[in-house]
Amino acid sequence: MRTIALLTGLPALFFVAFFLAPMAVVAIASLTNPAGELTAANYVRILLDRYHWDVLWVTFRIGALTTIACVLIGYPLAWYLVRVVKWPLWRRACVILLIVPLFTSNIVRSFGWMVLLGRNGLINDGLVASGLIERPMRFIGTETGILIGLVYILLPFVVLAVGNALAKVDPSLEQASADLGATPAATFWTITFPLSLPGLMAGGIMVFMLAVSAYVTPALLSGGRITVFSMLIFQQYSSVFDFHYGGALSITMLVLTLILVALAGRIGEPKGGSR
Amino acid sequence: MITVAIRLVSYAALAYLVLPLAVIVGSSLTTTSFLAFPPQGVTLAWYGKMLGDPSYVAAFATSTVLAAAATIIAILLAVPAALAIARHAFPGSRLLSATLMSPLILPHVVLGAALLQYGSAIGLTRSFNALLVGHVVIIMPFVLRAVLPQLTDDQRSLEEASADLGAGPLTTFFLVTLPQIRSGIASGAIFAFISSWINVELSIFNTTAELTTIPVKLFNYVQYTIDPTIAAVSSITILVAAVTIIVLDLTIGLDVLSERR
Repeated sequence: MRTIALLTGLPALFFVAFFLAPMAVVAIASLTNPAGELTAANYVRILLDRYHWDVLWVTFRIGALTTIACVLIGYPLAWYLVRVVKWPLWRRACVILLIVPLFTSNIVRSFGWMVLLGRNGLINDGLVASGLIERPMRFIGTETGILIGLVYILLPFVVLAVGNALAKVDPSLEQASADLGATPAATFWTITFPLSLPGLMAGGIMVFMLAVSAYVTPALLSGGRITVFSMLIFQQYSSVFDFHYGGALSITMLVLTLILVALAGRIGEPKGGSR
Repeated sequence: MITVAIRLVSYAALAYLVLPLAVIVGSSLTTTSFLAFPPQGVTLAWYGKMLGDPSYVAAFATSTVLAAAATIIAILLAVPAALAIARHAFPGSRLLSATLMSPLILPHVVLGAALLQYGSAIGLTRSFNALLVGHVVIIMPFVLRAVLPQLTDDQRSLEEASADLGAGPLTTFFLVTLPQIRSGIASGAIFAFISSWINVELSIFNTTAELTTIPVKLFNYVQYTIDPTIAAVSSITILVAAVTIIVLDLTIGLDVLSERR
């Protein structure tokens, strides 16, 4: 018992002091008014404000679309890296390409897209030159622009999670399925895909949470035209200084995200599983 | 047919992953005074301009010292916690590990706001220490996650043997346990360091004009001006990431997707 206290004492203390206590302060502030009285007014204000519902809807729509796009692009890429690439050097280069962005600040990565998606950026120039569009499109300040940036930033999470799951699938199971006469497609859908599903779910949930709570990428690519929920929170703390209302917004976002993630986890559970 | 489709999607995705970084590095070399990609001419003048600006140098220094300090503290806190969780079944061990991991799923804007509000109540705001405690909280999970799986049960018998031979707990830790979890600590530390070095969402609440980290400084700039100096500063951060990863790959091995695992 003394050993445990010695080992866990400091980390536990640190987390109570700088993680649990701050979160408790936010929760308490969200339930009080400036006079210090207990009130639900901050939450009522969120509930009754149409604008906040719109922002929430935009935020979660962006989160859902980002997740879907990351899964649709990430699964084939993970498959390619684990199953298709045979040349070790190229595989290594691909993995490095996947991780370098993860180690680069969101700012820098979003900045790259600001340059690329600008009116005279490479993307518009390319689209115009190829004759697909006549005049430059507006990306900065549109949901499309935010989506391109967020998918870019979060794609590696899905690829790594799915790739890890695929790498662990026992080849003899697929072999057995093929030997028993299953077509490659049938083997994929009945054997490989279900075995990779936990990785896909883990990656997808991670992407959804990060997309919904992202601040930097939407802030830079929205061009001030689109507001997501984390911007509301930031405004309350940095320019309005209403910690009570800001606290209620924070707790609302936290709770909504956790509920959606819990629901997603439930849907993703294999049918007839161990529970 | 399907393999062709998978290849096409993958090549496109890989190009998508490279493009923004290539554009930044490319346009940092341009001789024009505005961002141009492909760069028109090649010059390192913008890097010179960056090095001549003390505020950039200071922000790089702050980021690096902050990330290093946060990583060291995170290791000192996470390794004992991991030992307790892996080696001693005690009531609340699951709660402890869940709490220590939960910053991974908490939106950083929420945590940043919480630390600002809490900090103003206890007199810890907009200072290096305010940044430091926040960074330790968010990077500790990386160290914990890297170290925990390395504390396997088969090492336990070695530790017991060491204890039977009369070694004290500290001797056993430094001579038996530590060498076995060293690579876990190293990879956890690198992830922790980088996560701290690139953090914006948490830091932004506690930085000031004088005390700022490099990503926060970039963020404040990029919203108003875009010029080749910013691209040069950004390129340096990309270079740091690339070098870190190549070092990681050569030392610990990054073949995260190999079947051999």
